[in-house]
Formats: sequence, C-alpha cells, structure tokens
Amino acid sequence: MDMSNSNPAMPRPLAAADLCRRCDPGQFKFKTTDDLEDLRQVLGQARAVNAIEFGVGMGRDGYNMFAMGPEGLGRRTIVRRYLESQAPGREAPTDWCYVYNFDTPHRPRAIALPAGRAPRFRDDMARLVEDLRAGIPAAFESTEYRAKQKEIETELGERQDQAVSAIGERAKSQGIALVRTPAGFGFAPRHGESVMNPDEYRRLPEAEQQRLENAISTLQEELESAIHDMPKWRREAQRKLRELNRQVTRTVVNGLIEEVRAEFQALPAVLEYLKSMQEDVLDHVEIFRQPKDSEPPTLFGVPLPVSEIGESFLRRYQVNVLIEHGGTKGAPIVYEDHPTHDNLVGRIEHISQMGALVTDFTLIKAGSLHRANGGYLIVDAMKVLTQPLSWEALKRALRSREIRIESLGQMLSLISTVSLEPEPIPLDVKVAVVGPRLLYYLLHAYDPEFGELFKVAVDFEEDIGRAPESDLLYARMIATAAHQEKLRPLDRAAVARVIEHGSRYAGDAEKLSVQMRDLNDLLRESDYWAGAASRKVIQAEDVQRALDARVERADRVRDRLHEEILRGRLLIDTTGSRAGQINGLSVAQLGGFSFGIPHRITARVRLGAGKVVDIEREVELGGAIHSKGVLILSGFLSGRYAANKPLSLAASLVFEQSYGGVEGDSASSAELSALLSALADAPLKQSLAVTGSVNQHGAVQAIGGVNEKIEGFFDICRSRGLTGEQGVLIPVANVKNLMLRRDVVEAAAAGRFHIYPVENVDQGIEILTGVPAGERGATGQFPPGTINFRVEQRLTELADRTRAFGAAPPAKRQRRLPRRP
Amino acid sequence: MTKRIRRVIVGLDPVRQSRALLDAAAELAGRMQAELLGLFVENQDLLHFAGLPFAREVGFESATRRALDVESMERMLRALAREARQALESAAEGTRVQWSFRVVRGAPAAELLAAAEESDLVIANLETAPESPARASVRIVHAGDVEALRAALEEEGACILLLAGADPRLVGETLRKAAGRER
Repeated sequence: MDMSNSNPAMPRPLAAADLCRRCDPGQFKFKTTDDLEDLRQVLGQARAVNAIEFGVGMGRDGYNMFAMGPEGLGRRTIVRRYLESQAPGREAPTDWCYVYNFDTPHRPRAIALPAGRAPRFRDDMARLVEDLRAGIPAAFESTEYRAKQKEIETELGERQDQAVSAIGERAKSQGIALVRTPAGFGFAPRHGESVMNPDEYRRLPEAEQQRLENAISTLQEELESAIHDMPKWRREAQRKLRELNRQVTRTVVNGLIEEVRAEFQALPAVLEYLKSMQEDVLDHVEIFRQPKDSEPPTLFGVPLPVSEIGESFLRRYQVNVLIEHGGTKGAPIVYEDHPTHDNLVGRIEHISQMGALVTDFTLIKAGSLHRANGGYLIVDAMKVLTQPLSWEALKRALRSREIRIESLGQMLSLISTVSLEPEPIPLDVKVAVVGPRLLYYLLHAYDPEFGELFKVAVDFEEDIGRAPESDLLYARMIATAAHQEKLRPLDRAAVARVIEHGSRYAGDAEKLSVQMRDLNDLLRESDYWAGAASRKVIQAEDVQRALDARVERADRVRDRLHEEILRGRLLIDTTGSRAGQINGLSVAQLGGFSFGIPHRITARVRLGAGKVVDIEREVELGGAIHSKGVLILSGFLSGRYAANKPLSLAASLVFEQSYGGVEGDSASSAELSALLSALADAPLKQSLAVTGSVNQHGAVQAIGGVNEKIEGFFDICRSRGLTGEQGVLIPVANVKNLMLRRDVVEAAAAGRFHIYPVENVDQGIEILTGVPAGERGATGQFPPGTINFRVEQRLTELADRTRAFGAAPPAKRQRRLPRRP
Repeated sequence: MTKRIRRVIVGLDPVRQSRALLDAAAELAGRMQAELLGLFVENQDLLHFAGLPFAREVGFESATRRALDVESMERMLRALAREARQALESAAEGTRVQWSFRVVRGAPAAELLAAAEESDLVIANLETAPESPARASVRIVHAGDVEALRAALEEEGACILLLAGADPRLVGETLRKAAGRER
C-alpha cells in the first residue's frame, strides 16, 4: 500500500510464511509411521508423570492422587498405564469372606485368607455341611444309638404305663374300668369287659351307686397326681435324649471338622470360627436329622416360596466369599465407572420372604473399594461427586482406613427391616480421582478433608513447545496412537499435516496440543477417509478431508450467519469508507466448533460530560470485561487529549445487530478506532476488520481466537470477491498464534488479503484512515491535519462549548437542579 | 400272593389314631389294585362312659379333671371322624387307590370282626384279639407273624383280620414281607 510505504513506522502486512507455521515433511526420515518405534514415554506430561510416580511410591496415608486437566488429555489412560506397570511388582492382596457370627448374629465376622484360599474355604465348609447332613442322620440310625434311644423311651413309657395301669388294676378290683378317651382317661363302672350302660347304672341300688361314685372319685384323684408327675418324667427323658444326641453327634462332628481344621491350621481366625461352628452344630443337631425332602409349607394350599427350615437354617454355615484374588497377579487396579455409594463400599441385599425383606451375611456384596483393596482405585471426580453420599463414603473409608458397609436405606432411615452391621474390613488402597482442574481447586478451597486425603495433585499439560525434535516425538506419538488403534499407517506428509493441526488446535504456532482424544479422533477419521479412497496408507489429503468434513458437519450456524451477511440482513461493509463505523470481530463456540464473525461497531460523539456510554452495558448485554475495555477508552482519551481541560464529550458505542451478549475486551481497539474516527471525522476503510484490546496508553494487546477471527472476515470478503484492499489488523503479540487456513495463506501470498500486525492504536488508525496519526512535536502540538490533531481540536472545541454553556446564568441551572428526579 | 384281594378295610379308632396304619393299608390296596375302606368305629364304651352322671375325664397332658356329657362326646367323635377321613384321603392320594369312608357305632373289636366276615382283609388297630367267637372263615393274624399271614393268604375263602398290636408300624412291615416271597 502506498500509505505504508510513505511512513517508516507503518507496519507491513505479514508475509505468507508468518501466517501459518508449516511442518516440513522433508525433515522426517521415515516413510510411513510403520517405520517408527512406539513412544513409551508420555509426551509433554513430565510434571504429571513425576507426580504419579511420587503418589504411587509414597506409602503414607493421605497421598492419594487427583489427576486434573481438561477432558481428552488421556489422564485416565496415563494414570492407568503407570499403575499397570507398577502393580505386578506388588503382592496380590488377601481374600476376604464374611461368616456367621454365632455370638452376635447381626454382626457378621470378616475373615482374611491368603490370596486364592477363600473359595477353598467356602467349598470345604459347604462339603462339611453336606457331610454333616449325611453323617449325623447316619449316626442316629446306628444300632447303638437306637438301642440307647429305645431304652430311654421305654423307660419313660414303662414308668407312665406303670403309674396308669397300677391305678387301672386297683379300679378293676373295685369293679371299675379305666376308659381311654381321646384326650385322657376316665373311670366308669364295669359290665363284663365293657363300660356299664348308664341306664343299667341307674337301676343299681343307691348304696352301690354311692360306693362306685366314691371309689371313682378317689381313683380320679390318684390318677391326677400320677399324671401330674409325668411332664417332669418326660422332660427328664428329653434331657437324657438330648445328651445322648450330643454324644453321638460330637463324634461325627469332631471327625468331620478335623479335616477342615487341618487344612487351615495356620489361620487362627478360621480355627476360631470352626470352634464356634462346632458348638453351634451340637446345639442344633435336630436340624441335621430332618429329612431333605419333606413336603413344602403351604398357605391355604399354595406352596410358599421359602426353603425348608433346615435349608434356611443351614445358610448360617455358608461362607460368603466377598473378594478373592486367586487369579490376580499383583495388586488389583479397579476403575469404578459408576461410583454410587453402594458400588463403592458394597451393599447388603435383601430377599423377600413371605412379603417381608430379610437379609443375612450371605447377601453382603463387595464394592469397588473391596476389589481395589491392596491395590489401586480410579474414579471420576464428577461422577463420584454427583452420586449422593459417594464422596463422603469414599473419604470416610480413606480416613478410617476401613470399609464399613452401611445400607443407604438404613442410613437415611428410609427402610426399617432386618439389618446387619458387618465387621469392617481394613482398607489399604491408593485412590486416583480424575477430574477437571476447577473441581480440584473448588474441593481444595471448600472441602477441609480434601487436602488431607488427596495430597498429590497430578496436573496435566494441554500442549508442548514446538521444536524440530518435538516434531519427531510427536510423529512417534501419532505412530503409537495409530498402532494402538490398529489404523493404516500415515505417510510423512500426513504426519506433517497432523502436526500442523496440533498447532492449530493449541491455537499457537509455537505449541503442539497433546489432547489425545482429539488426536485419536483425527487419526481415526483420516483412516476412515483413506479407507473410503481405497488407500493403504493415510495421506495428507485424507487428514485434510477429515478436518474439512468435521467443519462441514458442524458449521450450519456459521453458514447461516454468513448467509445473513451476504444477503445484506446483517450489515457488514467490505468496501468503501465511513467515519465512526468499523468491522470488529468475535468468536462463537458451539459444540466444540469455533468460528469468527465480523460485527459492525459504531461510535457517535456529541457534547457531554466526559462519558463514553457502552450501550451493550446499559442494556445488560455486555459482560464485565467488555465494560472494562470501554472504560479504558475514556482513560485513554482524557489522558492523551484532555489532560488539562475537561473531557466534554459524550460518546456512545454499540455492537450493531448484536442481540445476544457480548463479552471480552478484544473489540476495544476497534471501538477506540471508531471513536477517534468519529471525533476526527475521518472515514475508516470498511475493507478492514480490527481485533485487539487496548490499554490506557493506546498499546494494542493480545487477544484469543485470532485464527478464527481472521478466517471469519476472510470468508465474507472472499464470498463477495477479494479486492486486494481487504485485511485484518491484529495485535503484534498474536502473530505467534497464527496457524491460518491454507486458502487464507494463499490469498495473502497473492497480495489479495492482508494481515497487519499492529502495536498501538496510532498504527491502527493510520492503516484504517490512510491519514497519519501524528505525534506531538517540540511545541507539544500534533502536526496539523493528522488524526490526533483533529481529535484534539474537536475535544478542545467541545470543552470550549461546555465552558460557554457554563457561563450561562447559574441561577437558572441551580433552580432546575432540585427538580430532577 | 395267590389270593386276589378286592377290598382292604382299615379300622379307624377315635383314641388310637395311627397314620402308619393308614399308609400301610393304602400301600397294600395300591399294590393289590384293591378298594380301600376306612371304618371309623365310634366306641360304644366312650358314649356309655359319657352318659354316666359323674363322668369325668382326666387330661393326659394337663392332669386336670373335666366333666363330660354325651353331647360333647358325640361332638368330639364327629370331629375325630372328620380328622380320620382327612387322614385316609391324604394316605389314599399318595397311592391313587379308590377309597371310601364309613362310620359305625359299637365295640371296635366286634365291629371289625363283623367287617372281616364280609371282606378279604381287615387291618384292625387292636392290641388283643376279640374274645367274641368268630366265624370259621375268619383268620386272626397278629402283626409281625409273617408266616401266619402268608398261610392265611394262601387259604381259599379265608377272611383275614390283621391285628396291629402295640406298634402300628409293624403292620406295614409284615404286609411287605408277606408279599415279598411272591415276587
């Protein structure tokens, strides 16, 4: 441009090479990624990896890890991979089982066994019960037992018979019969072998009747007293029988239990359990004697869905293997995908029995803390925090170093039913919580226990510095990902294209993104397109196709907005010039897709009290940072032009046709240019768009999303036809961030589109107006005709006018003042 | 067994109720494909006893005296008959035999003996043989005496009265043993 040539301070448009930092495929020696060795280390995460190493190695309490960073960095994979490398070196943890507590049944006992032994214990106990069920009835079938039992029964029977028949004999001698009734005995006068007919009795002489009645009365009394002692005899016999049963059973039980005892000789907890079990079996011998196949109980003829008494009773001798590590090599690594309270600490299930909910120790189920005990547990922070009471339960377990199973229903008093308090199991686990940084900082600030329990912060980086050696490492990372995903290999050009995308994703020509998810997605999609084109190797065009297709899938909203601009419904000029009107640039992000959109910003000025009105702020469509940017403009204006006189300006600034919110200060340099243009009445070129924030000294500062903003304006210009005049002014500091699209770079190389790096607002206004900004000379005055001169002149003029108004009769103004609402 | 048994009668007693006896009878009837008849004898002695003005029953479990009258005794007998009928039904269900139930009043020994005269086999819940003279065709066999039972079964035209004795379990055993030689 002529202007820039005439003024040595004027920035030149950037060369095409500065607009996008290419990755030269020539620097690579490999042909395809198949030639590359897998990358063992984790690229760019040295800090995080060191933290993981420390967290895993540190054996003390509370050194649990919080792996933080944005989604898609591969935090979980990296943590898991490191744990997988460490776990095999550690011993497999002990097995745990719950058994019946014979002293306090509602507190099941926990027994630890060496890894893999619990199932054996369970099976041994099941077999023992089976053996007892066969052995005990067999012992009762033995001739010896039967003889002894008969002896006891006969003794009782004889004793009872003797008592009754003695009275019967006495009755017989008095002509009285002992009658056996359905429920007892009675006495009646005899007639031969049978009872005397009542009629016959009535015909007897009265004296005889009296005699019989008296005799019967005496006999009844005798019988009563004889029967009275019978329950005592029966109890005695029962006691004898019980003692006999115990004796018989003891031999059987001892013999059978001895086998199990020998097996678990080294485990005192098991031996203690077996001892209690032995006593319990002896106390409940009759259960074992019940035949297995008796009729099921019924209710009004409907068979009830309950196991027979014996079966349900025998459940108490079962062993509930909560967790067993028979097949486990080394320490377990558990990822809990659904960390509800119950899934973490385990639960106690209930079964319905005749409409009631019942439970016992066999219904205790392990949680992920049980499974991870002796190893590592990985959970997602967001998930564990959104599940009711999970976070509290996790902390409680870590703090108390034991797993206590509590039913949520009981904890909240929602259900009231048979409950259990299983003995807590000692906990030794290293927990890695994976979550966003925000959660880490929030938890650290608001949860007093958090800092104590999660002492190791594992902070993941989003990008790495870009240097030739890192390009090769990045290429190896791409190769590793392609191998793991079983994708086609990439050729050199494709790798270079992926690396360029890595830079663009990072939004920085000097950085490479290590967002593994995005990288993997891009590789998979490229592989798909290579497949669609029947290629065996992924080429650069497949990568480009994948990127283009991604945009195409996501850019409906951008297309509609561009369409509105091109149809003239959203007013954006890309030719001509106008005072107080400028093209600003904004970035919209919708569902992971960002795009730039130009906005018309206008400024109007008039006489006033030195206030720049931000219309966006007045209607609450502007955010705080935007307001801050606008207020800085007043600071700049008064500082530069009105240091010694009142700033008698009223200006209004607006984002035209913006109906959503506006946030950020990246438009403040555009707003200042529009304001200066309005004050100096200098038309601004509408072929240019401006981005950059500005400070009170007029220096232009870095902003975000520079690539999207440039491309957004470029797309509009290209659609209308590139004139060679069009371009974007960006802050100098943002040049490093440029990773522009190929078509933009090509247009710039051909001189049809220009990117101007701007240091301060003077440079900007010169490019925008074609008029020099002007610097104060030795006299302290701006050279006449320059923008700054014209602005100052206008502001002086406004100040003078204000003074003139101020000279008007003060009384009038003062009288009016109080009336103001 | 050479003899074809068409009907098995089992004596049901209000005082000495025995499921073992019913099962043995049902099993035999099932094996012989014979009809099963339950004969519940309302013991005349009990009614006479209850009819006496000073009738008192001393409970076996409670050891207390209760007054009795004919009406309540009859009620009790009816209830026991119902119970006996149910027991017979459930025993018969197990072997799927045709069965019927009858209630008679009198002295158990005499009634069963009378029944034996019209039937092939009567299983009687009696400890001792009835004293009243029986017709020549009635063979009285004590449970446990397998030889006597076999002999009676061989004999053409003989009616058998099988006495349960003190232990009703013995009946089933005896019947099975007697049948055993035939197989």
